[in-house]
Amino acid sequence: MKKVIDFIKPAVILLLVAAVVALVLGGVNALTAETIENNDRVKVENAMKAVLPADSYEQFADEDVPEALDALYAAEGGGWVAQVTESGSQGNVTMMVGVSADLTCTGVSITSSSETAGLGAIASQQSEKGDAFRSQFVGLTSPVAVDKDGGQIDSISGATITSRAVSTGVTAALDACADLG
Amino acid sequence: MNAKKQLTEGLITNNPVLVQQIGLCATMAISTSLFNGIGMGLSVLIILTCCNVVISAIRKIIPEQVRLAIFVVVIAGFVTIVDLVLKAFIPALSESLGVFIPLIVVNCIIIGRAEAFSSKESVFLSFRDGVFQGLGYTCVLVLMCLFRELLGSGTIGGGLLNGATSMVTMDGTGAGFRIIPEGFGAGALTLPFGGFLTLGVLMAVMQYALRKSNEKKARKEKKEVQQ
Repeated sequence: MKKVIDFIKPAVILLLVAAVVALVLGGVNALTAETIENNDRVKVENAMKAVLPADSYEQFADEDVPEALDALYAAEGGGWVAQVTESGSQGNVTMMVGVSADLTCTGVSITSSSETAGLGAIASQQSEKGDAFRSQFVGLTSPVAVDKDGGQIDSISGATITSRAVSTGVTAALDACADLG
Repeated sequence: MNAKKQLTEGLITNNPVLVQQIGLCATMAISTSLFNGIGMGLSVLIILTCCNVVISAIRKIIPEQVRLAIFVVVIAGFVTIVDLVLKAFIPALSESLGVFIPLIVVNCIIIGRAEAFSSKESVFLSFRDGVFQGLGYTCVLVLMCLFRELLGSGTIGGGLLNGATSMVTMDGTGAGFRIIPEGFGAGALTLPFGGFLTLGVLMAVMQYALRKSNEKKARKEKKEVQQ
């Protein structure tokens, strides 16, 4: 009999501790969920405004988003903003690409990446070098490629793979919007 | 065990990073700007203190067989709370530290202190241990950040100081104060291997200082014995 209790007691205590922790977490989540959602929305909106200014954006339903893109928004007044994820040198690079109604790129902004600090990370930084890199994409039409691949983009030195990922992403966004018509 | 001894242990003689050599992964990964260093250090300090207190409070009912599982559940709970709160109120910090906040769950400083200290000592002592060990961790992080940021990017206080709107900012946009002109920094120091170098140097200095002070103590004792 004592043996059974020896088995059950630790399990019950572990269960109780886990239940208390879960309850507390539920409470904290309820308190913070709204603020976090707000923060995320503001971030996405700012990224969209940076690549294609418009008063409002209408999000495409999931089934209407082309396979190459994560999400697609139609900007009021023409044009689209596409969210694309490509693999960089250290992980995924997620970017917002603005596409005008006549299918030129209006800007690109990297919303999340984990590229090497000082090299690939420059692509997403708000710095002179980062702005210079991203501004190269403005006004380009598909296909976009880095100089090493015979394209028109000067890659960030030491970060060809990151530069290539951004170029591929922009090309994918331009092509996907071209297919929309 | 008095407060002074615990403080010296946390900061110097039993410093979690430089002497116990635990929690190194996050230390090396995020110590590239002062904003990150202080943010990470304080997050660990808060989580460590809370975990220490809770684990110490329930230490008598924790069954030996499942103690590690219970430690991990408690730690994961506090880490998730801090993660959610940061995401909601200091999103810039949460973004800058990225995956390293959730990874505090497996940071060995916290489970190490739970196993070695708070599961055996009183709530009050565990609370103090959490604060002092957390301070020790924060100090090392801040030191590494200052060193790597200054030599690597040439600035001091990146992300935190000299923001666009105010002197001290919490939105991570602070440019910091430029000490070394742009382009002259040793960018390598901001890369992971720069972290290893910095940590190695800090550890060497620490070991040297500890050895000197031990030798001094030993000499003093010897003298007293001779007299």
